[in-house]
Amino acid sequence: MSQSLVTALASQALEGIVEVAESRGELVVRVLPVALVEVCTTLRDDPAFAFDFLMDVTAVDYPGREPRFEVVYHLYSLKLNHRVRLKVGASEASPHVPSVTPVWRGANWLERETYDMYGIQFDGHPDLRRIYLYEEFEGHPLRKDYPKEKRQPLVTRADVEPAQQRRQRERDSERYGRWQ
Amino acid sequence: MPGRVVTVERRPRPRAMDSLGALAILRGLAVTSRHFFRNLWGFLRGRPTIFTINYPEEAQQFAPAFRGMPVLVEMPDGKERCVACGLCEWACPVDCITIYPAETHDEVERYPRVFDIDMSRCMFCGLCEESCPEEAIVMSDRVAIASTHWRGNVWHKQDLLVPVGDLEKRLGSIRRGYDTRASEPAVERESA
Amino acid sequence: MSDTDAGSKAPGTVGLDELHGEPLELQMGPSHPATHGTVRISLKLHGERILWSDVQVGYLHRGFEKECEAGEYAQAIPYTDRLNYASPIINNVGYCLAVEKLFGVEVPPRGQYLRTIASEISRLSDHFTCLGAGAMELAAMTPFLYCMQAREHMWDLHEALCGARVTTNYVRIGGLQSDAPEGFAALCREKLAAALAIFADVERMLTENPIFRDRLEGTGIASAETLIAYGVTGPLLRAAGVPLDLRRTQPYLVYDQLDFDVPIGKTGDNYDRYLVRVEEIRQSVRIIEQALAALPDGPIDVDDPRLRLPPKGRVFNRMEELIDQFKLVTEGARPPAGEVYQAVEGANGELGFYIVSNGSGRPWKCRCRSPSFSNTQVLGEMVQGALLADVVPTFDMINMIGGECDR
Repeated sequence: MSQSLVTALASQALEGIVEVAESRGELVVRVLPVALVEVCTTLRDDPAFAFDFLMDVTAVDYPGREPRFEVVYHLYSLKLNHRVRLKVGASEASPHVPSVTPVWRGANWLERETYDMYGIQFDGHPDLRRIYLYEEFEGHPLRKDYPKEKRQPLVTRADVEPAQQRRQRERDSERYGRWQ
Repeated sequence: MPGRVVTVERRPRPRAMDSLGALAILRGLAVTSRHFFRNLWGFLRGRPTIFTINYPEEAQQFAPAFRGMPVLVEMPDGKERCVACGLCEWACPVDCITIYPAETHDEVERYPRVFDIDMSRCMFCGLCEESCPEEAIVMSDRVAIASTHWRGNVWHKQDLLVPVGDLEKRLGSIRRGYDTRASEPAVERESA
Repeated sequence: MSDTDAGSKAPGTVGLDELHGEPLELQMGPSHPATHGTVRISLKLHGERILWSDVQVGYLHRGFEKECEAGEYAQAIPYTDRLNYASPIINNVGYCLAVEKLFGVEVPPRGQYLRTIASEISRLSDHFTCLGAGAMELAAMTPFLYCMQAREHMWDLHEALCGARVTTNYVRIGGLQSDAPEGFAALCREKLAAALAIFADVERMLTENPIFRDRLEGTGIASAETLIAYGVTGPLLRAAGVPLDLRRTQPYLVYDQLDFDVPIGKTGDNYDRYLVRVEEIRQSVRIIEQALAALPDGPIDVDDPRLRLPPKGRVFNRMEELIDQFKLVTEGARPPAGEVYQAVEGANGELGFYIVSNGSGRPWKCRCRSPSFSNTQVLGEMVQGALLADVVPTFDMINMIGGECDR
């Protein structure tokens, strides 16, 4: 199963693929950030791959390594019943990765979660804000340098309300301009 | 084994009764009345068919494998079996166990001077029991740990000691697994 | 409900769209009686019609992944219970299969069969919860109580197997916490029959009920393409006619040796989701019956001191096993460096664990791909343009479990 996928990847010679490896029966493909959206579009649309499912987006933090973060995508193909893992590096100084929301709509929340937990900026994401934690939360908790026991300052209602109202107004004018 | 893919069928809706739903009301009443009379009959016979119990008056009957709060095994001579090796402290995912070891001149030289379990942190996972090399900490069938202050939920050694005779149910359940993989039968441990 | 279009107008009246007005903002949740999960849905309404919605999750976020990274591999198993607390054993199985894949070991057949049986018992418990709570939120209280009674029977089986009803902590890396008790097969058959008998009453009250059908039929429709684009799996996708079931497509444990059907729907509305879950309950019972009949004798654990504690009988009396016990508890199981992704079919869809090991006793990264997270994301799309009352049945049939969605 995996072998045919490797040959298909080799025959396509997609630009931006740095490395194709196999570990424990799972295919791992390392991609350059600039080519990520193109590679993903090909993987989704080409009948030799047909990866119609984006199962998961997450990141792994390797402090001291360059690039420090590795954004990991798990893809699954319904028709061909195979899986692949894509990896993209993101440096600590500017953790920017292009968003794959144009390719799979489901990437929206998954990328928001990765941004929330690791602080990876997904360029082109329609609505990149924290998903689990509140917006006043400082830091990104799944980074290895965030201590597990760290406490966050208490956010009072007075801190939140003006900002919340401002955001609400922005959202309203964006989506409901005709009602304002 | 090849499996089939079946499409779920929805039945056509009866036209006449559709707006009223009278048939559905009658059917529902039949079901609930059957339950009501069956439960009433069971109550009158003294053999309840409901699964709720009158809690403080009646106690729940637990399965032999039931995992309640962890307690310390008290030997017939009134001493704990624990030798304060600290493995349960290591194994505990939530760090609710605190042990200070000490030494005596008895046959078993080590014992826990302090053995505290913070029951408000404990999640009854049973990893302490599994890691114990002495069968000294056991998940009992006791579950009443409520208290009015969090300090009251820190149980000390004297609160935790339970005579070995009261723990036979759970001990019997975990002892089944003691020799499942033994190629040769293990030497019988002298009974406490 | 769907056939009453707010935009259509009778002769001589003004359509709703022509009336002047401002959109009404409504916050459903975070603790709302009609949502069985802590989620907040911000709605903008035009009359009863939903113009825009924003689903906000995270009220049950407990830092599952951070906690896993802080402890040893075995210490994360109790936390996996708390992911989907309606079907805890499936989470245990998924996590342990992932760690076993890192080690490259496989548990003996009896262990595999028991894991299969326990998974299906958990799946039944999840479906009973979903259908019962769903009916309750549509104001049908009695089916909820009957479903809880059926679920109690499933939890009795959990209790007989591992001693806990919800926080099971049953599966171990390389085996199981304990073997099935004596007479388990008979108890299992008895409890399943009792649960099915009660569930038959639930079906009698719900399936053909016109009110229930009115609320569910034609609401929350999403096409298979939409669902796939959002990464939705499980009963939701099957109700839209896609027979994706990991127990079939990528079998794990002993599912390839068991005969069961994959139910799919036609239209992908809420009623199809209900019917698919009802049929899955029957298929799960079939699986358990076959697995009980085929349950082999033998060990349940792998005999490997690297990852599984030695049997206690030997720890008490022999030096090597005592050393193994101390080493394994204090250092933890140390899988070789590498990374794996292991997916199992959870009650709501694909439940995946992505674990990165750096060769130490603690996972470097333990990621849970939870089905509820992807499934909840599509709620906004499903209720777009629908009536406010359709949010409740749609949310019910998505069956968002807070513990799993927010982790």
